[in-house]
Amino acid sequence: MAVETQPVSPALNQPAREEEEALREQLMFDPRPREELNRMVMESMYSTSPRYWVAVGVLTALVLVCLVGMWGYMIFTGIGIAGIRKPIYWGVFIVTFVFWIGISHAGTFVSAILRVFKAEFRRPFTRAAELMTTFGLAAGALYPLIHLGRVWVFYWMIPYPNARWLWPNFRSPLVWDFLAITTYLLSSTIYLYLPLLPDLAMARDRTQGWRHAVYKALALGWRGTEAEWFRLRKAINIFAFAIIPVMFSVHTIVSWDFAVGQVGGWNSTIFGPYFIIGAILSGVSAVITILVILRATLKHMDYFIRPEHLDALGKLVLVFSMAWAYFFFNDYLVSWYGGYEVTRRILTLHATGPTAWVWYCMLFFNVVIPWLTLWSRKIRRTPWAMFIITVLINVGMYFERYTIIPMTLGHQRFPFDWGEYSPRLPEISIAFGTLCLFILLYLLASRLIPLVPVWEVREGQEAHKVVKVGKTVVPSVSELE
Amino acid sequence: MSDTISRRNFLKLSGLSAAAAVLTGCGPAARYVTRRPYYEMPEYAVLGESTYFATTCIECPAGCGLIMRTFEGRAIKAEGNPAHPVNHGKLCSRGLTGVQGLYNPDRIQRPGKRARRGNPTLEPLDWDTALGVVREALNGAGAGVAFYLGLAPDHLYDLVLELTQAIGAPPPVRFGALGMFEARATLVEAVRQVFGEARFPYFDLAGADVVVSFGANFLETWLSPVAYTRGFSQFRRTDGKKRGYLISFEARRSLTSGVADEWLPVPPGTEGQVALALGSLLQSRGWKVPLGAGQVDVEASAAAAGISMERLEQLADRIARAEHPLFLPGGQALAHAGGLVAARNILLLNLAAGNMGRPGGIFLSPSRPDSGSLRDVQALIEQMRAGKVETLFIHGANPVFELPPALGFTEALANVPRVISFASFPDETALQSDYVLPDHTPLESWGYQRTLAGSDRMIFSSLQPVVVPLYDTRATADVLLSAGKLPYNDEVTFLQSKLATLLNEPGVTVEATEIATFWARYLQAGGWWTQQAGLTTPTNQPDLQVEMAQGAAAPEGQFRLITYPTHLGDGSGANRPWLQETPSPSTTVMWNTWVEVHPQLAEKLGLKDDDVVRVTSPSGSIEAVVYLFPAIRPDTVAIPFGQGHTALGRWAEGRGANPAVLLGAQLNEAGDLAYGDVLVTLSPTGRRRPLSRLESRAGVYGEH
Amino acid sequence: MAEQQETRERWGMVVDLDLCTGCNACVTACAMENNIPWVGEEEAGYGRNMFWIRVQRTWEGEYPEVSPAYQPVMCQQCGRAPCEPVCPVFATVHSEEEQINLQVYNRCIGTRYCANNCPYTARSFNWYDYTYQIPAPMNYYLNPNVTVRRRGVMEKCTFCVQRIRAGQEQAKAAGRTLQDGEVIPACAQACPADAIIFGDLSDPESRVSKAARSQRGTTLLEELGTQPKVTYLKGGGYYGG
Repeated sequence: MAVETQPVSPALNQPAREEEEALREQLMFDPRPREELNRMVMESMYSTSPRYWVAVGVLTALVLVCLVGMWGYMIFTGIGIAGIRKPIYWGVFIVTFVFWIGISHAGTFVSAILRVFKAEFRRPFTRAAELMTTFGLAAGALYPLIHLGRVWVFYWMIPYPNARWLWPNFRSPLVWDFLAITTYLLSSTIYLYLPLLPDLAMARDRTQGWRHAVYKALALGWRGTEAEWFRLRKAINIFAFAIIPVMFSVHTIVSWDFAVGQVGGWNSTIFGPYFIIGAILSGVSAVITILVILRATLKHMDYFIRPEHLDALGKLVLVFSMAWAYFFFNDYLVSWYGGYEVTRRILTLHATGPTAWVWYCMLFFNVVIPWLTLWSRKIRRTPWAMFIITVLINVGMYFERYTIIPMTLGHQRFPFDWGEYSPRLPEISIAFGTLCLFILLYLLASRLIPLVPVWEVREGQEAHKVVKVGKTVVPSVSELE
Repeated sequence: MSDTISRRNFLKLSGLSAAAAVLTGCGPAARYVTRRPYYEMPEYAVLGESTYFATTCIECPAGCGLIMRTFEGRAIKAEGNPAHPVNHGKLCSRGLTGVQGLYNPDRIQRPGKRARRGNPTLEPLDWDTALGVVREALNGAGAGVAFYLGLAPDHLYDLVLELTQAIGAPPPVRFGALGMFEARATLVEAVRQVFGEARFPYFDLAGADVVVSFGANFLETWLSPVAYTRGFSQFRRTDGKKRGYLISFEARRSLTSGVADEWLPVPPGTEGQVALALGSLLQSRGWKVPLGAGQVDVEASAAAAGISMERLEQLADRIARAEHPLFLPGGQALAHAGGLVAARNILLLNLAAGNMGRPGGIFLSPSRPDSGSLRDVQALIEQMRAGKVETLFIHGANPVFELPPALGFTEALANVPRVISFASFPDETALQSDYVLPDHTPLESWGYQRTLAGSDRMIFSSLQPVVVPLYDTRATADVLLSAGKLPYNDEVTFLQSKLATLLNEPGVTVEATEIATFWARYLQAGGWWTQQAGLTTPTNQPDLQVEMAQGAAAPEGQFRLITYPTHLGDGSGANRPWLQETPSPSTTVMWNTWVEVHPQLAEKLGLKDDDVVRVTSPSGSIEAVVYLFPAIRPDTVAIPFGQGHTALGRWAEGRGANPAVLLGAQLNEAGDLAYGDVLVTLSPTGRRRPLSRLESRAGVYGEH
Repeated sequence: MAEQQETRERWGMVVDLDLCTGCNACVTACAMENNIPWVGEEEAGYGRNMFWIRVQRTWEGEYPEVSPAYQPVMCQQCGRAPCEPVCPVFATVHSEEEQINLQVYNRCIGTRYCANNCPYTARSFNWYDYTYQIPAPMNYYLNPNVTVRRRGVMEKCTFCVQRIRAGQEQAKAAGRTLQDGEVIPACAQACPADAIIFGDLSDPESRVSKAARSQRGTTLLEELGTQPKVTYLKGGGYYGG
């Protein structure tokens, strides 16, 4: 990266100028000097309005009350204050757990898969997406603890030599879950951290005081030598490949929590890919939501994040919405065709039971809305529209998990023992509390971590050139590495 | 402390050393309960091992044998006495929860005086003062003393009977809700008219092959439910015999009708007519039914009962083919204006079937039942109202709760200057008493119960304390004996003197020649009974003819009301949390009162499940929650009895409604309440209150 | 001490639905034996009841031919129990000794996965400290042989394992093998109709084995392959005549 090439020359002749201007809409063809990019990112980290502090304060309070306080109260009184009941032993807690694990997928997906396939539009937002993974996992990983009847002995799930002379039961999907999630959390954190090194070094060089000390420590003495870049690239490359199967395995294992059981409506062989697609759909949507927010609230972000990115991600969402619909239909059809009484009753009750609106909302938000809107390039490039659409998709995905978990558990094999579940305040409060936690972590991170990987953007901009072929301007990308 | 403190002394002492953990002695000298410190455990007590005591359940008058498991001085679990002829080791929900009565936190713990009736606080009284009050009351004018006793225990009834004879008071009135619902007096009177002796009939279900039940809920509360359930079980079994076939005529598919092979929902009050129609059809099949030719219009009877002639003929065929058909006259059929006639008709069918004293037939209990009819209660109420009762003693019954208010018991009580209750629980009647001198609960008591209704032999079922009395309570027998009117030192002396008549009997479980040995063996065995089954064979009165019984249809807009007792028994079970939480078998509802309404009727009235509805009869009205019950006649509604307490402790109070309010005061010919003739109207209140039920409404009824 | 013959009982149960009257005495008996707490009206109606055995009452037919069908359902003590593999901490395990499914309350951390995975809805969860809410002196009757469960743990029918153990020890002390009918759980003991038969399935001559071989015998949700140890004998007079 030491090669300093001239950016696109301003001395182009007249007819090409317009085309070139049009290309400037794209970040990669709208380069700015390195120093300016650095300054812009640093400024975005430094600028905090009073509104920011109010938001941080309110969110902290909400996290303390809704999550910490309510959870503490629940530990103190018993999990009975939640709405779960016989036979619906899992409710909103597990729904939200699966939801957050799903959200956490797209970060890695966007970053790793797009990196592996060298999709250039990924460059400005890989970091934002990776952060989402980490924070989504942080929020989601609380739930296996929150939902325990006796959280004070949660560590009995951890395999360690103990006085009880007991290993955990490796046949239990919950242990797989535990292992998968910790693996994923660890690897995704490293995967977040590696590309962060040059940017931390950049921040280290441009800060004083405590920030300098922190960035100095975190940058691990990055100097930007050829050898360091070489190793970093190598490491990122390995991780990008390695984390993809981890990511697939995590959500597959989460789906196995359900699929390996014998609960009617759960024991479906297609649950693994179905859950992964759902997770990616909700995760990519969440990336769009966050990018729109970042673009609107963080300084200089409108330079880095442009409609072209929303456009590209919007296409992804559309594709995954279709894929999700395919899997949903597949699962539904095969279950229905199986003709097993319990499954058929469940499918009927999803569509006609007292909470059928959840099921219909799921289909409407996950299929109808994206299919109707995301065909349009104009909508895909409109930030507020994309914001609404992606939030709705995530609501739809939340409802999907709600349908799969409590709505299915309530109608098992003995009609005599059916039950209706409705979440109670503690569950809603805790679910809301983790949402606040997620936003709060993101809010804090946005001022502590360079949210845009400057080096990746610059790398891209360096690699993008405009080549003139006759009178036409042709954008070209030089292969890196 | 010496080993042989007399029981009286013990009672005085017991208050002092309440902290010492104790076991009861049970050797030959067991009339003396000794309290010892824990380190001097009785020799039979092994640390960590349970001790078992045989006693008798008196939750209902059936008197099942209990083996109480005790552990380090605490009663742990009620189990059936396998040797006991009534229950053979089996128990019902009520008996099983006996320990929740014993250890109920709402028990009355010491004697007390009420400053004002209805005021829940009791001023503590010491026993000496309390005994003084009793003595004074018994010393006064003999005729001014009245006793109101429940259906159990029997020994107290015997004692009070002697006492009233000694002081010249009228004999005790003995009445209970369970007797009311099974129309005991009617049944006994019908037996007297048909067989010449006023006895309880014993129906040998086990030996029958076709049983026709006319509203007899023998699996729930009727006469001796555990014994009859056992009989039913034998009747149904196929080991070397035909499977028994149960036909039930009842307007509502109760637990008993629920297991019936054929259920015919006849209108309440037409059971007697159906019996007649069947009798007439059976006559044409060669049965000797004492019925004049053309006396019965079978078709009209079938029409009144809503049964097709074809169906009735089929039933008659089946009965005629049976080797041992048996006909049960249940409370639902008897509690009508024509109830006595109905009972007689049904008994006559047994007669025609040749059921007297044969296996699978009918027997008579060995001695007269002591319980009275509601007419006796009414007479007492008259006396009370007229101010002729100076002191009313109440034991084992809760008349303020269980009698229909239309009888005016509560108002008449106001004219009684002194009301003394022996209640162990702060029930509605205790609340209206001046003095509450709490008796021990049954598991802390001595006594016996003659089990007349559910056994194939004579039984004196023994009661003994399985734990030392928990509180400063005192046996009512001792309290009454303290007045010195009877020649007994204490309750145990009285019991032994009664049991002494059983000495030297051959062929019984407890053979002994002197009372001490007898007493020890008697307590250990759980009672005295004959080794061989044996009951009186009834003989029929020759010139008895069946009569027409009339059942009337309910007028438009009004519905017949069925009130039926549940596992809460006479209502005293309502303060036991586990009886409350045990689901009602047919509706699975817990902790509340519901009105069973057929879905058709509900639709007509615009009622939905869980709607609060006002049920009004000429006598009063209550509010209860609608349960859409598919197995009840659409012109009939049903309400379970037992809830709706205004007192009786934390689990009973303010829960559900008491259908006794609706029942009126109309009696039948035998002096039983004609509660089956009550007509009610339903009006929605617009409120809803979800019933707590075990079943899923969506799953079972497809509603959401 | 003489060589003890190694005996391994396979405990099993038969419920004769033709005899079952639906009276719920088994429910009460179980509660009193196993220290099962009551939960009150609201909670009981909201699926928080703690029954280890419950009588399912369903309806067949239309009025006037409508008929209730009663079926007591408790833990079926599956040979291949769906609850066992899913527990992450081995709180629900198969006992080698008694050949039943045990719930180890001390190990349970309350994931409730076993309850989801139980096709018989046989498990109950302690949502609160119900037992601790029993007012004194009512706690006096609690059975010392049965653990009082605290909040956050799962519980279920154990075939009255405390009685099985007591019976085995008694027989061992007397130097003999267990007799048929010597061990009997609270529900079968109370059942007034004697519709519940309990005993050793490995003994072909035991009462329960004979009953389980009846042509009326079926197991619940047989298609799941859980190999339940409870056999139901169909009722309703479909046989004999």
